[in-house]
Amino acid sequence: MTPSLPRRTVLAAGAAALPLLHVRTAKAAPREIRFWHAMSGVNGERLEEMTRQFNASQSEFSVTPIFKGTYDELINATVAAYRTRTQPQLVQIYERGFMTMLLSGAVVPVQELMAAQKHEVNWGDFIKPIAGYYTHRGLLAAMPFNSSTPILFFNKAHFSRAGLERPAETWQGLEDQLRRVKAAGGPGSIMADDYHWSWFENYSAINDYQYATKNNGFSGLDTEFTYNRTPVVQQLGRMKRWMDSGLLEIAGQGVSATAVFTSGRSATFIASTAAHSAMMAASGLEWDAVPLPWEEGRTPRNSVIGGAVLWALRGHPEADNAATATFLAFVAKPETQVWWHKATGYVPATNAAYALAKSQGWYRERPTQEIAVQQLSRGEPTANSLGYRFGNFTQTMLAQREEAERAFAGQKAPQVAMDDAVARGNEILRRFERLNAGKY
Amino acid sequence: MSESTVATLPATRRALWPALRRRRPAVPRVEHGVKAAGFGGQFLPLLLLTPQLLILILFFFIPAVRGLAQAFLLQDPFGQEVHFVGLENITSLLRSAEYRESLRLSVVFTAATTVLTFSAGLVLAFATDRVTRGRNAYRAVLLMPYAIAPAIAGFVWAFLFNPLVGPAATLLHSLGIAWDPNRNGQDAMLLVILTASWKHLCYDYIFLVAALGAVPRSVIEAAAVDGAGPLRRFVWITLPMIAPTVFFLLIMNTVYGLFETFAIIDAATRGGPAAATSILVYKVYVDGFINLDLGSSAAQSVLLMIFAVALTVIQFRLIERRISYDVSQ
Repeated sequence: MTPSLPRRTVLAAGAAALPLLHVRTAKAAPREIRFWHAMSGVNGERLEEMTRQFNASQSEFSVTPIFKGTYDELINATVAAYRTRTQPQLVQIYERGFMTMLLSGAVVPVQELMAAQKHEVNWGDFIKPIAGYYTHRGLLAAMPFNSSTPILFFNKAHFSRAGLERPAETWQGLEDQLRRVKAAGGPGSIMADDYHWSWFENYSAINDYQYATKNNGFSGLDTEFTYNRTPVVQQLGRMKRWMDSGLLEIAGQGVSATAVFTSGRSATFIASTAAHSAMMAASGLEWDAVPLPWEEGRTPRNSVIGGAVLWALRGHPEADNAATATFLAFVAKPETQVWWHKATGYVPATNAAYALAKSQGWYRERPTQEIAVQQLSRGEPTANSLGYRFGNFTQTMLAQREEAERAFAGQKAPQVAMDDAVARGNEILRRFERLNAGKY
Repeated sequence: MSESTVATLPATRRALWPALRRRRPAVPRVEHGVKAAGFGGQFLPLLLLTPQLLILILFFFIPAVRGLAQAFLLQDPFGQEVHFVGLENITSLLRSAEYRESLRLSVVFTAATTVLTFSAGLVLAFATDRVTRGRNAYRAVLLMPYAIAPAIAGFVWAFLFNPLVGPAATLLHSLGIAWDPNRNGQDAMLLVILTASWKHLCYDYIFLVAALGAVPRSVIEAAAVDGAGPLRRFVWITLPMIAPTVFFLLIMNTVYGLFETFAIIDAATRGGPAAATSILVYKVYVDGFINLDLGSSAAQSVLLMIFAVALTVIQFRLIERRISYDVSQ
């Protein structure tokens, strides 16, 4: 026995007790809520940083972020949790899950929640295509969180080798340019994995083509797809033609389209503005970005958003709801919005946040990050450009992709493929209508 | 050792059920081999079975029954609207062209994987006998794919054969083959068949090596002395003697192809392009977990189960009665 042993033991015991004590006092005070999210990688770290900022900003509440996998996995986990009454207070759900969540009976509309908890939010200040997408019966149903819209990234080196400065404004002009890039020994363009969003949905919004009846689903569950009677069919034909002549390539599995573009082997890349973080991380890539092209002779309208919103789930005590509302108020603050916008590349959700970022000189440093905001707020949204409100939207989209891919492979003519996509989509819409009759 | 493994598999299966059903006191019977060993009473065996039965009830029977019930309902994911629709989920599936196509793809995929895995496994198992130097290394290399997670295997193969960046695809292109699994559904199907077979190859290999090792040398030598060539010896001596293993692998490969290839497909093609690799088990997943169409997904599971059971019964009826399990004893 050495005399130093007891002292060491005491020290060790003290050291062990310290964090325990700390946890206890920390746990006793703030009301903790769970926040399930689907942000991985860098954006996941940013999200956790945001909750840390919130937790440090006050002592009453504490938000615990929990990563639950992809958007698909997250909505599944939410369903399972709600059915077993173990749901979290807050979940991040992608835009295609909007109708499922809205009519689920499992959510508290966020504007209602904030009013009940006496939080002032300037609801009129949200950027129109964002607010419009998520507003039902005049109330914002969920809090806009990560909103994005597609823009056109291009490789400056490949363009300048073909004697071109920047992509043309129209699809026709762009096609001509891509042929010139190819003729100068340059590569084709890479197609993003979520191409349906840019090439069909945003294409229809920007060119003001009707996608479905009943204002694209906004004014009734009995909406029917109509995009097989619009230039979307020609757009599909254009994609097929570009693929056949090597102007457009599919990344497929095993490699991401973003990685193909950032490695410098593509002329252009139409993708979410959230791809900015990957662009900036890429070394030796000379890139720039422009708004999405439109059809010759059309007046371009606003594009539509993608991304996700935060839903407050039902079934929690009043104190939890207070915590949820306080956190959502924090998310909606211009300062938080600007921080998030800068850190991730997602667009600021409010005009105040946009003005703040602008006054800080952010867009002089990063002009391409302003494209998305400008494109989203271009003109007054029409019935065709406000957004899409379809039940089972993921399912109709997957059916559409299947048919589009039949056209890519030459198994079906573009018109036949889109006719079939619309027929299948309408059947899926009817299934949703039947189940939710009278609820919308 | 390998001899007894192969020979006792069906025997244990038969022995399980009577043990469970037996209500009256066990009557001592005169039996040989494995069946001779047993418990006197029924308390201890039931006690020993309890943990396994609980797991089965909790994770298999209860979900299966609930799944079966869902197949007759139309409901929203959160479960607040539930409509009983009878057989509608099933009839609409049978009417749907996409479902019938998925069924056809499953048959093609499972048959191709079964045949490819088995024949390649057989050739390699034969070669094991011939390899003299580095035999352990040879076996280790063959067993490696089994240790790789299916999702990783799918991803690696998807990368290798990716038409833009994959080295294997570049090789194919340089040979003048227009390989493009991103647009051409048949290429994609070929890719997942190869990946799934490669992944499952060693399973067949292990069993076949064991079975081949159990064939008595003396019989084969006798046949050789009688003037039978290698092919003749294989068809008339070896094959009948390893028939129980062949039959077992046939069923296991079918089950593997139908049910266990989900992760490979999800990683390698995501069922695409244009649903060209969306076999039944993948479609169940997409409709249930991505499209949140629980009724249709449950109906598909029920049909898939019926399909797999029917196939197994047919295999038993057609093939098992021609197999003698006593050969190797």
